Amino acid sequence: MNILVFTKRVPATQEEELRIIEEGQGIDLSKVPFKVNDWDNYAVEEAVQIAEKTGGSVTAISIGDAESDEVLRRAIAMGTKDGFLIETEKVLHDPNARATLVSEFLKKEGISYDAIFTGVQSEDDQFAAMGGILSAKLGLPYSSMVIGIDSFEKDHVIARRELEGGLQERIKMTLPCVLSIQSGINEPRYVSIMGIRKASKVERKFFKAKAYGDNISSTIEVVKWVYPPKKGGATMLSGELEGICKDLLGILKEKGVFQ
Amino acid sequence: MSYALVVAEVRRGVFEERNLDAIGLPTLMGKDVSLLVPDGTYAINEKLVNTIIKIKLEEAIFLNPLNIVSVIKTVMDSSGKPDVIVFTHSSSGAELASYAAGCLNLPLITDVNGFDKEKEVFYKSYYSDKIFGEFKQTGEGPFVITVRSGSFKEYAVEKASSPVDKIIEGIPVAEGRSFIEYVEEDKTDIDITKAEFLLSVGRGIGNKDEIPSYEELAGLLKATLSGSRPVIDKMWLPKARQVGTSGKTVKPKVYLAMGISGAFQHIAGMKDSDCIIAVNKDAEAPIFQYAHYGIIGDIHKVRDKLRDIVKG
Repeated sequence: MNILVFTKRVPATQEEELRIIEEGQGIDLSKVPFKVNDWDNYAVEEAVQIAEKTGGSVTAISIGDAESDEVLRRAIAMGTKDGFLIETEKVLHDPNARATLVSEFLKKEGISYDAIFTGVQSEDDQFAAMGGILSAKLGLPYSSMVIGIDSFEKDHVIARRELEGGLQERIKMTLPCVLSIQSGINEPRYVSIMGIRKASKVERKFFKAKAYGDNISSTIEVVKWVYPPKKGGATMLSGELEGICKDLLGILKEKGVFQ
Repeated sequence: MSYALVVAEVRRGVFEERNLDAIGLPTLMGKDVSLLVPDGTYAINEKLVNTIIKIKLEEAIFLNPLNIVSVIKTVMDSSGKPDVIVFTHSSSGAELASYAAGCLNLPLITDVNGFDKEKEVFYKSYYSDKIFGEFKQTGEGPFVITVRSGSFKEYAVEKASSPVDKIIEGIPVAEGRSFIEYVEEDKTDIDITKAEFLLSVGRGIGNKDEIPSYEELAGLLKATLSGSRPVIDKMWLPKARQVGTSGKTVKPKVYLAMGISGAFQHIAGMKDSDCIIAVNKDAEAPIFQYAHYGIIGDIHKVRDKLRDIVKG
């Protein structure tokens, strides 16, 4: 099986305070560290495991600036054969624009594949849409929220989709197809700094996004960035650690769950 | 005619409550609502919408992205182009919406959690809910939108008159993807929905080796240990212990969240707890917006101090 898997370099904003700048026109990410999108890490692992079982190879693809080579090297260290970077001049937030770019790229470069994997969503813009739009543009069957792949045959795949409340749905899709992989599907292998350094020796191919048509303008635009509205908010316990913890235990006693 | 097309989710014969959010947004926008549903015998308050379009397809076939596109095209052929097409932002809703937007070549905004009627802008969250983007509909529409559950249901209100009923038959069923069966989660672990006091841990605990010390603390406090998605994904706790939309919805007397930032899927699973206490080192963590009590600090230090005090 030859699988293409998308991987994205995203700002690690979980524990960062984000500041809106330029009167709502920008967000200051200058001090934020970057990392591989969590969902893509699972998608790369899943693709590599399937190729290891069925033969064939995996190619990692990233869209972004030159720095995104970092997530390609990481994917190679995990076991992909090679990596392609589609270099864009500015960040494409619109999943429609990203998917159009990719479908043009795949057609123009004549890249063949049995399946395309993406992560369910990216941590930064949380659209959860790239895989769906891409499959539509390529005219392929699609499934998102894939939490298990039961079998991967020559002409079809049987997969489980995660629904709500612990329920799953088992489906069958013909190949080629697009699968968006949910986090938790596997245990992504550990990647060492040494491994990533060694991966630098493996060839990555670089492409310029503007070579794939002028029809990749965004279909949606953010007018302005704003902070979320504040709700009631919590009563904060503050002071010395000992006092805070005693207050906390006091609340537990008051609520009748701890004596 | 100006109308909104809403695609409803019916799973195992239940009209999902999150559909009310998908009906609520276009109602707030002042649109007539046409609701697309699979034909069936489930309970539904029909007065919330202006038109009900019943599709003669089984629910799992209706909720297949390849088929829903044929359904939407058929409706647009007979009723004209809607002003907006709305889905829920769920496992299936997001899947259907992105595929439909791609096939119909329409702009898409997912996970919409607010709408400002005066400015006519939609709000969508970015960066773990720390920033919202304001979107305006410009150019060719209609927009395809998915709505975050819990965001708009209060706007779904009964109309004075009963809706117009329509039935559509003969939708071709695609062969590229087919439904096999539903699969239930393994029910061998404890039921966290029965616990009165949950100690829930998240990404902030750092690594698997920390789990035993939180188990110990849960034991000392007579709490049940649960976790948020990242902890379950990394297999640090079993799936049955997951709080959130893809895990369990819980309503304990006390929900003590340690190192959980509060992704909306998690919040949806615990926001109705009687008392929520959050401990997190990030003062901007969204969970503090939903908690009754908050502590900004190192969760491991809080854990150690609580243990020392309780042990005496």
